[in-house]
Amino acid sequence: MARRTRADDRGRRAQRPKDVLHGQRSGHREQDFRCVGCRLVVPLAAPGTAHRNHCPTCLASLHVDGRVPGDRAAACRGRMAPLSVSVRPDGEWLLVHECLSCGELSANRIAGDDNALALMRLALRPLRDPGVPGAAHAVLLGL
Amino acid sequence: MTDNFLIDTFTCVWCGLTVHARAAGGQRRNHCPSCLHSRHVHDHVEGGPSTCGARMSPISIAVLRTGDWTVVHRCVRCDELTSSPVAEDDNRLILMRMAVRPLAQPPFPLEAFGDL
Repeated sequence: MARRTRADDRGRRAQRPKDVLHGQRSGHREQDFRCVGCRLVVPLAAPGTAHRNHCPTCLASLHVDGRVPGDRAAACRGRMAPLSVSVRPDGEWLLVHECLSCGELSANRIAGDDNALALMRLALRPLRDPGVPGAAHAVLLGL
Repeated sequence: MTDNFLIDTFTCVWCGLTVHARAAGGQRRNHCPSCLHSRHVHDHVEGGPSTCGARMSPISIAVLRTGDWTVVHRCVRCDELTSSPVAEDDNRLILMRMAVRPLAQPPFPLEAFGDL
């Protein structure tokens, strides 16, 4: 699944420098982690991103970071479920996670091998369940 | 806070609209109904009031299990994320634009889904 590269990447924020080097961890979980949702063993190396924090299959994550990504400052360790999809001005998709334990939100860029069907279901969710009254849809279709 | 005789209002930090602090249903607003921008006044990581006070821009629409929409806001200064429920009189055009935004810029070709 090729990530679309855009010519107008000028206004884009540089990727945050990675101060937690996962490869330098010791023990048997050096290069991978096990997903809390589907128990899949996921390699840390991901195409298109250096900050993989969620399972590419079920998109679940774990609440381990505090304010700064990679700081491992959160004591919660709750499961984070995908909540919604957001788009950066340059067209990059972000996955917004919500901690099921404490309600904290976090955003992470999607990786190149994330499950496209799961992402699509998430992106279509607002349109499938019209939470705004149905009349609003009719009004907007008339615009 | 709300007095019986004073109307509780706030001014939007983005579009400058003066907004009644309570929506039609009586619940307290946390974003402007016209441009959906908010202000970072509550610290969600540590709890309590936040010292940031910067503008928060709406970045996406999330759907709760009940089917209600919530707006996810991101602080433009410290990148903190919050979510708040959609009020009855929020700008439908901006809500719908944010909801279809991912589909307008998909990171993968959508033609492949037709075969599934």
